[in-house]
Amino acid sequence: MANSILAYVTLAMILFSTGLVGVIVRKNIFIIYMSIELLLNAIILLFVALARYYESMDAQVIALFVIAVAAAEAAVFLSLIVVLYRHKKSLNCESFTILAQKDIK
Amino acid sequence: MIDIIFFTLAIFTLAGGIGTISFSQPIYSAMSLIVSIIAMAGIFALLSAPFLFLVQIIIYAGAIITLLVFIIMFLNVKNEHLPKEENKNIHLTLSAFLLIPLVLVSLKAFNTLPLKSMEIMSGDFGSIKLFGMTLFQGWLVPFELISILLLCALIGAVVYARKEDKIG
Repeated sequence: MANSILAYVTLAMILFSTGLVGVIVRKNIFIIYMSIELLLNAIILLFVALARYYESMDAQVIALFVIAVAAAEAAVFLSLIVVLYRHKKSLNCESFTILAQKDIK
Repeated sequence: MIDIIFFTLAIFTLAGGIGTISFSQPIYSAMSLIVSIIAMAGIFALLSAPFLFLVQIIIYAGAIITLLVFIIMFLNVKNEHLPKEENKNIHLTLSAFLLIPLVLVSLKAFNTLPLKSMEIMSGDFGSIKLFGMTLFQGWLVPFELISILLLCALIGAVVYARKEDKIG
Protein backbone atom coordinates (compact mmCIF):
# COMPACT_ATOMS: atom_id res chain seq x y z
CA MET A 1 0.00 0.00 0.00
CA ALA A 2 2.87 2.35 0.71
CA ASN A 3 4.04 1.50 -2.81
CA SER A 4 1.38 3.63 -4.46
CA ILE A 5 1.56 7.39 -4.82
CA LEU A 6 -1.87 7.76 -3.17
CA ALA A 7 -0.44 7.00 0.28
CA TYR A 8 2.06 9.82 -0.03
CA VAL A 9 -0.50 12.23 -1.48
CA THR A 10 -2.90 11.42 1.36
CA LEU A 11 -0.20 12.13 3.93
CA ALA A 12 0.74 15.39 2.22
CA MET A 13 -2.88 16.54 1.99
CA ILE A 14 -3.61 15.74 5.64
CA LEU A 15 -0.48 17.62 6.67
CA PHE A 16 -1.45 20.56 4.45
CA SER A 17 -4.91 20.66 6.03
CA THR A 18 -3.34 20.57 9.49
CA GLY A 19 -1.20 23.57 8.65
CA LEU A 20 -4.11 25.44 7.06
CA VAL A 21 -6.27 24.87 10.15
CA GLY A 22 -3.44 26.18 12.30
CA VAL A 23 -3.06 29.33 10.19
CA ILE A 24 -6.81 29.99 10.31
CA VAL A 25 -7.59 29.18 13.94
CA ARG A 26 -4.58 30.09 16.09
CA LYS A 27 -3.78 33.62 17.25
CA ASN A 28 -0.24 33.10 18.54
CA ILE A 29 2.06 34.52 15.85
CA PHE A 30 4.74 31.86 16.47
CA ILE A 31 2.27 29.05 15.92
CA ILE A 32 1.04 30.71 12.73
CA TYR A 33 4.66 30.73 11.53
CA MET A 34 5.07 27.04 12.37
CA SER A 35 1.82 26.23 10.56
CA ILE A 36 3.22 27.96 7.47
CA GLU A 37 6.27 25.70 7.79
CA LEU A 38 3.90 22.70 7.88
CA LEU A 39 2.23 23.90 4.67
CA LEU A 40 5.62 24.24 2.94
CA ASN A 41 6.63 20.79 4.18
CA ALA A 42 3.48 19.22 2.78
CA ILE A 43 4.18 20.77 -0.62
CA ILE A 44 7.79 19.56 -0.52
CA LEU A 45 6.55 16.05 0.23
CA LEU A 46 4.19 16.24 -2.75
CA PHE A 47 7.06 17.35 -5.02
CA VAL A 48 9.34 14.54 -3.86
CA ALA A 49 6.60 11.93 -4.26
CA LEU A 50 5.92 13.13 -7.80
CA ALA A 51 9.66 13.15 -8.54
CA ARG A 52 9.78 9.47 -7.59
CA TYR A 53 6.60 8.73 -9.56
CA TYR A 54 7.83 10.31 -12.80
CA GLU A 55 11.48 9.37 -12.11
CA SER A 56 12.55 12.93 -12.82
CA MET A 57 15.09 14.93 -10.85
CA ASP A 58 13.52 18.30 -11.69
CA ALA A 59 10.86 18.05 -9.00
CA GLN A 60 13.52 17.36 -6.37
CA VAL A 61 15.34 20.52 -7.47
CA ILE A 62 12.10 22.49 -7.06
CA ALA A 63 11.74 20.98 -3.57
CA LEU A 64 15.22 22.33 -2.76
CA PHE A 65 14.13 25.77 -3.96
CA VAL A 66 11.10 25.60 -1.68
CA ILE A 67 13.41 24.85 1.25
CA ALA A 68 15.59 27.85 0.31
CA VAL A 69 12.53 30.14 0.17
CA ALA A 70 11.46 28.78 3.57
CA ALA A 71 14.87 29.73 4.96
CA ALA A 72 14.57 33.28 3.60
CA GLU A 73 11.05 33.51 5.00
CA ALA A 74 12.27 32.35 8.42
CA ALA A 75 14.87 35.12 8.61
CA VAL A 76 12.48 37.94 7.70
CA PHE A 77 9.45 36.62 9.62
CA LEU A 78 11.34 36.01 12.85
CA SER A 79 13.06 39.41 12.86
CA LEU A 80 9.65 41.01 12.23
CA ILE A 81 8.23 39.10 15.20
CA VAL A 82 11.09 40.35 17.39
CA VAL A 83 10.47 43.99 16.37
CA LEU A 84 6.70 43.71 16.84
CA TYR A 85 7.04 41.99 20.21
CA ARG A 86 9.33 44.76 21.47
CA HIS A 87 6.70 47.35 20.60
CA LYS A 88 3.48 45.58 21.55
CA LYS A 89 4.59 43.15 24.30
CA SER A 90 2.13 40.65 22.88
CA LEU A 91 2.14 37.65 20.57
CA ASN A 92 -1.51 38.03 19.60
CA CYS A 93 -1.69 38.52 15.85
CA GLU A 94 -4.80 40.70 16.27
CA SER A 95 -2.74 43.38 18.07
CA PHE A 96 -0.43 43.88 15.07
CA THR A 97 -2.28 46.67 13.28
CA ILE A 98 0.58 49.07 12.52
CA LEU A 99 -0.05 48.89 8.78
CA ALA A 100 -3.79 49.38 9.09
CA GLN A 101 -5.36 52.79 8.51
CA LYS A 102 -5.61 54.89 11.62
CA ASP A 103 -9.37 55.40 11.50
CA ILE A 104 -10.11 51.67 11.45
CA LYS A 105 -10.17 50.47 15.02
CA MET B 1 8.69 -3.95 5.61
CA ILE B 2 8.47 -0.69 3.66
CA ASP B 3 4.82 -0.46 4.72
CA ILE B 4 5.71 -0.67 8.41
CA ILE B 5 8.40 2.01 8.08
CA PHE B 6 6.09 4.25 6.08
CA PHE B 7 3.22 3.99 8.55
CA THR B 8 5.49 4.61 11.52
CA LEU B 9 6.95 7.71 9.89
CA ALA B 10 3.52 8.90 8.76
CA ILE B 11 2.13 8.58 12.29
CA PHE B 12 5.08 10.54 13.68
CA THR B 13 4.67 13.22 11.01
CA LEU B 14 0.95 13.67 11.66
CA ALA B 15 1.32 13.55 15.44
CA GLY B 16 4.00 16.22 15.22
CA GLY B 17 1.82 18.35 12.97
CA ILE B 18 -1.21 18.08 15.23
CA GLY B 19 0.94 18.85 18.26
CA THR B 20 2.34 21.89 16.47
CA ILE B 21 -1.05 23.50 16.01
CA SER B 22 -2.61 22.47 19.33
CA PHE B 23 -0.05 23.29 22.06
CA SER B 24 -0.45 26.70 23.64
CA GLN B 25 3.22 27.19 24.58
CA PRO B 26 5.29 28.02 21.44
CA ILE B 27 8.31 26.01 22.61
CA TYR B 28 6.28 22.76 22.78
CA SER B 29 4.98 23.49 19.30
CA ALA B 30 8.53 23.96 18.04
CA MET B 31 9.56 20.58 19.49
CA SER B 32 6.56 18.91 17.82
CA LEU B 33 7.53 20.57 14.55
CA ILE B 34 11.04 19.08 14.83
CA VAL B 35 9.53 15.59 15.30
CA SER B 36 7.36 16.13 12.24
CA ILE B 37 10.23 17.38 10.09
CA ILE B 38 12.64 14.57 10.99
CA ALA B 39 9.95 11.94 10.34
CA MET B 40 9.35 13.58 6.98
CA ALA B 41 13.08 13.35 6.21
CA GLY B 42 12.69 9.59 6.67
CA ILE B 43 9.85 9.60 4.17
CA PHE B 44 12.14 11.39 1.69
CA ALA B 45 14.62 8.55 2.12
CA LEU B 46 11.82 6.07 1.29
CA LEU B 47 11.13 8.09 -1.87
CA SER B 48 14.73 7.70 -3.18
CA ALA B 49 15.79 11.25 -2.35
CA PRO B 50 18.89 10.84 -0.15
CA PHE B 51 20.17 14.36 -0.84
CA LEU B 52 16.87 15.95 0.18
CA PHE B 53 16.93 13.71 3.27
CA LEU B 54 20.22 15.37 4.26
CA VAL B 55 18.99 18.85 3.35
CA GLN B 56 15.80 18.39 5.35
CA ILE B 57 17.69 17.37 8.48
CA ILE B 58 20.58 19.85 8.18
CA ILE B 59 18.76 22.94 6.91
CA TYR B 60 15.22 22.51 8.23
CA ALA B 61 15.72 20.81 11.58
CA GLY B 62 19.25 22.07 12.05
CA ALA B 63 19.05 25.68 10.95
CA ILE B 64 15.50 27.00 10.53
CA ILE B 65 13.91 25.41 13.59
CA THR B 66 17.00 26.10 15.70
CA LEU B 67 16.67 29.78 14.74
CA LEU B 68 13.01 29.63 15.73
CA VAL B 69 13.81 28.04 19.12
CA PHE B 70 16.50 30.68 19.72
CA ILE B 71 14.03 33.47 19.01
CA ILE B 72 11.37 31.92 21.28
CA MET B 73 13.88 31.62 24.14
CA PHE B 74 15.35 35.07 23.43
CA LEU B 75 11.98 36.82 23.66
CA ASN B 76 11.33 35.21 27.07
CA VAL B 77 7.56 35.29 26.63
CA LYS B 78 5.53 35.32 29.84
CA ASN B 79 2.24 33.50 30.11
CA GLU B 80 0.26 36.74 30.28
CA HIS B 81 1.69 37.83 26.92
CA LEU B 82 0.26 34.78 25.16
CA PRO B 83 -3.10 35.40 23.45
CA LYS B 84 -6.07 33.86 25.19
CA GLU B 85 -7.67 31.15 23.09
CA GLU B 86 -10.40 29.54 25.16
CA ASN B 87 -12.25 27.47 22.58
CA LYS B 88 -9.13 26.63 20.59
CA ASN B 89 -9.61 22.84 20.47
CA ILE B 90 -13.26 23.07 19.42
CA HIS B 91 -12.36 25.51 16.64
CA LEU B 92 -9.49 23.30 15.48
CA THR B 93 -11.74 20.24 15.27
CA LEU B 94 -14.54 22.06 13.47
CA SER B 95 -12.29 23.59 10.86
CA ALA B 96 -10.55 20.25 10.33
CA PHE B 97 -13.94 18.78 9.42
CA LEU B 98 -14.58 21.69 7.07
CA LEU B 99 -11.37 20.88 5.17
CA ILE B 100 -12.28 17.23 4.47
CA PRO B 101 -13.85 18.08 1.05
CA LEU B 102 -10.58 19.75 -0.06
CA VAL B 103 -8.62 16.61 0.76
CA LEU B 104 -11.16 14.38 -0.98
CA VAL B 105 -11.13 16.48 -4.16
CA SER B 106 -7.33 16.37 -4.34
CA LEU B 107 -7.29 12.63 -3.74
CA LYS B 108 -9.86 12.16 -6.49
CA ALA B 109 -7.64 14.16 -8.85
CA PHE B 110 -4.58 12.06 -8.01
CA ASN B 111 -6.62 8.85 -8.25
CA THR B 112 -6.67 9.20 -12.05
CA LEU B 113 -2.90 8.63 -12.24
CA PRO B 114 -2.05 5.08 -13.33
CA LEU B 115 -0.79 2.89 -10.52
CA LYS B 116 2.94 2.41 -10.45
CA SER B 117 5.31 0.76 -8.01
CA MET B 118 7.11 3.28 -5.78
CA GLU B 119 9.89 1.07 -4.43
CA ILE B 120 13.29 2.52 -3.55
CA MET B 121 15.21 2.86 -6.81
CA SER B 122 18.59 1.30 -7.33
CA GLY B 123 21.17 3.35 -9.19
CA ASP B 124 22.02 6.96 -8.50
CA PHE B 125 18.56 8.55 -8.68
CA GLY B 126 18.48 11.32 -6.10
CA SER B 127 22.22 11.21 -5.49
CA ILE B 128 24.23 14.37 -5.02
CA LYS B 129 25.92 14.02 -8.41
CA LEU B 130 22.73 13.69 -10.43
CA PHE B 131 21.09 16.38 -8.31
CA GLY B 132 23.90 18.84 -8.97
CA MET B 133 23.94 18.08 -12.70
CA THR B 134 20.19 18.76 -12.93
CA LEU B 135 20.48 21.89 -10.80
CA PHE B 136 23.30 23.48 -12.77
CA GLN B 137 22.19 22.41 -16.24
CA GLY B 138 18.47 23.01 -16.23
CA TRP B 139 17.86 25.32 -13.28
CA LEU B 140 20.77 27.74 -13.27
CA VAL B 141 18.73 30.97 -13.54
CA PRO B 142 16.29 30.05 -10.71
CA PHE B 143 19.31 29.06 -8.62
CA GLU B 144 20.87 32.52 -9.05
CA LEU B 145 17.51 34.17 -8.34
CA ILE B 146 17.25 32.17 -5.10
CA SER B 147 20.69 33.40 -4.07
CA ILE B 148 19.59 37.01 -4.68
CA LEU B 149 16.42 36.31 -2.65
CA LEU B 150 18.49 34.96 0.26
CA LEU B 151 20.73 38.06 0.11
CA CYS B 152 17.66 40.32 0.21
CA ALA B 153 16.25 38.37 3.16
CA LEU B 154 19.58 38.74 4.98
CA ILE B 155 19.63 42.51 4.43
CA GLY B 156 15.97 42.78 5.42
CA ALA B 157 16.53 40.85 8.64
CA VAL B 158 19.47 43.10 9.58
CA VAL B 159 17.45 46.25 8.84
CA TYR B 160 14.50 45.06 10.96
CA ALA B 161 16.56 43.86 13.90
CA ARG B 162 18.54 47.11 14.11
CA LYS B 163 17.93 49.26 17.15
CA GLU B 164 15.40 51.88 16.14
CA ASP B 165 12.55 53.93 17.56
CA LYS B 166 10.74 55.14 14.48
CA ILE B 167 8.28 52.28 13.90
CA GLY B 168 5.00 52.48 15.79
